[in-house]
Amino acid sequence: MFGSFIKKSRAKSPWIMHFDCGSCNGCDIEVLACLTPLYDVERFGIINVGNPKHADVLLVTGTVNHRNKKVLKNIYDQMPEPKAVIAIGACGTSGGVFREAYNVVGGVDKVIPVDVYVPGCPAKPEAIIDGVVAGLAKFAQKVEEAK
Amino acid sequence: MDTLILVIIGIVAGPVLGGLVAGLDRRVTAWFQSRQGPPVTQPFFDVAKLLGKERTVVNQWQILCAWVYLIGAATSVALLFAQADLLLIFFVQAVGAVFLVMGALAVKSPYSQVGAQRELLQMLAYEPVLVLVFVGFYLVTGSFSLEALWAQETPLLAKMPLLYLALGFALTIKLRKSPFDFSTSHHGHQELVKGVLTEYSGPYLGLVEIAHWYETILVLGLCAMFWHTNVAIMAVLVILTYLVEILVDNTMARMTWRWMLKRVWLLGMGLSIVNLIWLYAR
Amino acid sequence: MSNLLLLLILLPVAAALVCYFVRSSAVRSMTVVATGVVLALAALGLLAQGTFEPIMVGSFLGIGSDFLISVLDFALLGVIYYYGFKHKSLLIQGFTLAQAVLLVWFEVFSLKHAAVPALAGDQLTLVMVLVISIIGSLICVFAIPYMKKHEGHQHLEKSRQPRFFFFLMIFLGAMNGLVLSNNILWMYFFFEATTLCSFMLIGHDATEIATRNAVRALWMNALGGLAFVVGMMLIHFETGLIDISAILAGGPQGVVMVTGVGFLCLAGFTKAAQVPFQSWLLGAMVAPTPVSALLHSSTMVKAGVFVILRFAPAFAGTFLSTGVAVCGAFTFVACAALGVGQSNGKKILAYSTVSNLGLIICCAGINTPLALTAALMLILFHAVSKSLLFLCVGTIEQNIGSRDIEDMRGLYSRMPRTALITIIGILTMMLPPFGVLLGKWMAIEASADANIFVVVMLAMGSAMMVVYLARWAGSMMGTREEGTLSESQPLLTSVPLLTLCLGAVVLSAASPWIYNSLLAPWLGSTPFTVGFGSLESAHGTFVVVPLFLVLGLGLLYAVRAASGYRKSRFTPPYMGGANSSVSGNYVGPMNGEVEFSAGNLYLDELFAESKLTPAFNALAVALIILMLGGAL
Repeated sequence: MFGSFIKKSRAKSPWIMHFDCGSCNGCDIEVLACLTPLYDVERFGIINVGNPKHADVLLVTGTVNHRNKKVLKNIYDQMPEPKAVIAIGACGTSGGVFREAYNVVGGVDKVIPVDVYVPGCPAKPEAIIDGVVAGLAKFAQKVEEAK
Repeated sequence: MDTLILVIIGIVAGPVLGGLVAGLDRRVTAWFQSRQGPPVTQPFFDVAKLLGKERTVVNQWQILCAWVYLIGAATSVALLFAQADLLLIFFVQAVGAVFLVMGALAVKSPYSQVGAQRELLQMLAYEPVLVLVFVGFYLVTGSFSLEALWAQETPLLAKMPLLYLALGFALTIKLRKSPFDFSTSHHGHQELVKGVLTEYSGPYLGLVEIAHWYETILVLGLCAMFWHTNVAIMAVLVILTYLVEILVDNTMARMTWRWMLKRVWLLGMGLSIVNLIWLYAR
Repeated sequence: MSNLLLLLILLPVAAALVCYFVRSSAVRSMTVVATGVVLALAALGLLAQGTFEPIMVGSFLGIGSDFLISVLDFALLGVIYYYGFKHKSLLIQGFTLAQAVLLVWFEVFSLKHAAVPALAGDQLTLVMVLVISIIGSLICVFAIPYMKKHEGHQHLEKSRQPRFFFFLMIFLGAMNGLVLSNNILWMYFFFEATTLCSFMLIGHDATEIATRNAVRALWMNALGGLAFVVGMMLIHFETGLIDISAILAGGPQGVVMVTGVGFLCLAGFTKAAQVPFQSWLLGAMVAPTPVSALLHSSTMVKAGVFVILRFAPAFAGTFLSTGVAVCGAFTFVACAALGVGQSNGKKILAYSTVSNLGLIICCAGINTPLALTAALMLILFHAVSKSLLFLCVGTIEQNIGSRDIEDMRGLYSRMPRTALITIIGILTMMLPPFGVLLGKWMAIEASADANIFVVVMLAMGSAMMVVYLARWAGSMMGTREEGTLSESQPLLTSVPLLTLCLGAVVLSAASPWIYNSLLAPWLGSTPFTVGFGSLESAHGTFVVVPLFLVLGLGLLYAVRAASGYRKSRFTPPYMGGANSSVSGNYVGPMNGEVEFSAGNLYLDELFAESKLTPAFNALAVALIILMLGGAL
């Protein structure tokens, strides 16, 4: 019984950690907009935490470059399982207009596995919330499969 | 036998009530900020999720300290329900608090190190105030045991109003509310990441969270003792006190330890001393 | 009976002579260990026989023992004067001369030489004898390997250990004599003997700073000796008595007598290093660690509190009593505050000792049965925990070459065994259900009856004590890398450490029974009753055994959970994602590796020693004047 309660709780309490990989801050503003009273993601139990060790979902905005790919990897590694990654915005999903730049590695999925891609430049808050919900469904499925 | 039943009730009901208080707190805070907020049961989902997460630690001291923190907090609530000696309850509570700090100091993390130092300063601020509140209690009832309270016919608040205000300082610190939430806070983002809690993760963070619920019940229980003659008024007093806490939390900025020590030592201790002088003179 | 008493006093003296004249280190080690064992057994034997009424001590080689003590008194003053002369200290010379003159006048003109029972033993005495003989002996045993290593660092041509153990052993004998004395002149003699021993031991390393600190200790304690003589004379002037049990039975009588007791308290203050006399005990840190352990836990400073506690019935209910309580409480809070600003481990322990002694003296001043019980509890448990901590710091210092708590960060990774014992030692100093906290709990509950100054000072001091001890214990915990070597300790090091560590825990658990069998019969009224392994009083209840069971089982469970840590995944601490390959380090500017470093908040702006000390000293002097002035 407690096991099923834990499973149910996972979907109800996704704590997110937001990592700005190399974004122009457009998507970052939209992520933060989710927390404002207008969107109020805390309704869904979503909390924005500052520490990968407390996080369930990693939101990544911006392109990955050679300087910060290690940081992205480290942060991902420090998150305890089960966890999900959501790439946000054109840059996060694919590297966007910067993908051919000499210093850019590409989208987030070049470094860590990504569960959900949220497109847009910048992504709309509704889309981000939708992405988090989709990500939760996905990692519930992952936990199920792992058993 | 009655005591044993009360103790069991305390241990079981403590975290349930504490979790509900935390849920209501988030709800009311959301209301103050014209948001809807999470369901009241949200803290339970959070903790259940944390308990189900992968165990990751920096070293084994964290595991030890998280457990002892929980055990210390639960024991102090059990003692509260057993109507034991107030000073003893307070010292047992300190066991948990000290271990939380030690676990944070055991890790080579700048955030938890600074958080732990600040937590110690918070203890430095609230401990004398609490001791003085208990001494006031002794002067009124003639005993440090909570049991002696029931023989009193008038509520304590009538004789210890200033001590109740001073207790408010301790309450705010213990509940990790602004302006005293600089060792760690309920909100994710602060300059220390999550301060003293930074390196506790997964199930161990869950244990710390449950222990915090116990502590909430402990301090609110102490507040409740100020109006023991009437359960309804007792409830009103506790609810009002907690509402004021939330209001303070939402309207105050986070302050520094210097500010805290100055306020709590001068104002908090001052209020307590004035009240005690009055009790001694009586 | 009297053979046992003489054994307790004279055996250490004999052992001291053996240590001094036989220069073989094997013989010396054997002597010290054997003496320790015999002393401990003798103390237990005395305990088994229980308390005894004052008894006479006959003559020795045809010379009356009282006369012998008088002669030795003057010899001792002569020696102290000589050292004052040698080190050109006018203060020592002045205080000693004054003592000698007063003493001559007292013994020749004033005192009626009647036979007075020289030795007596009540519960207070028994507890003190146990502390001195068992803990003191353990420290002496610990000193054997320690001094070997200590001299190894010094490259001496000729070992100075004979001299060292000579004074160490004499110290134990003198302390036993002091606590067993019933004749106030005997007490004075032993009081002075401990002064001389501490001077010799503090200055043992004969460095410039050691000599300077030893001289300071000597002049402060000579002042104490002077106060003792004055007090003794004033009491005799009013009551005509030098029999301590008779003086106590009489209670406070008249202004002159109470003032005399006030001077005795002043003597106790100097010996117990109360503010403003704390500087001699802090200076005593230059001595080898066993000396510090001995001075701080079982001898010397305990002599100070013993004198005050012994004479507590003689000033019950007077203004002097309140004065003593306020002075003690002030020392408690002042030294706790000074401790917050310290990073030197030995200094932290020193301030914590002075602070706890202040608490004991405060209890003596409160002077209710509850408070006096608290004082005795504190003496017992503080001695165990504090000696343990000093020995730990000594062991650590010899291994890492530093006594700074910042250098002990993560000590568990290097010296797991010592670090663990130290952490346990610190916990027994500040948390329930251990004995020191039990004593503190009693003290705070007793202080609620006293006055508001005392209550507030105790509340503040106890919070500060937690701060500086908790952060020390916490920072010693650390990550132990896989495959590091385990730590080895010499047998003579680990036996005292483990015995004291176990003692601190087991004695705490047994405190209700210790109270029942040892402390309860001491005072006419018993403040506590024992039921279900808990101590119950009219003030409140401390559930010792249930708490031990609950917290102990909880701790066991926590330890089990923690020892299953290999099931967990290890991650380095959070460093904003910029972790380097070494746990705790991060990659900084220019791809450079930044090493982890941390420091405690010592709150210099509030708790700087240099700023606080003069203010505290001035306040303490004012309080002492108030205390003595009020007695008049």
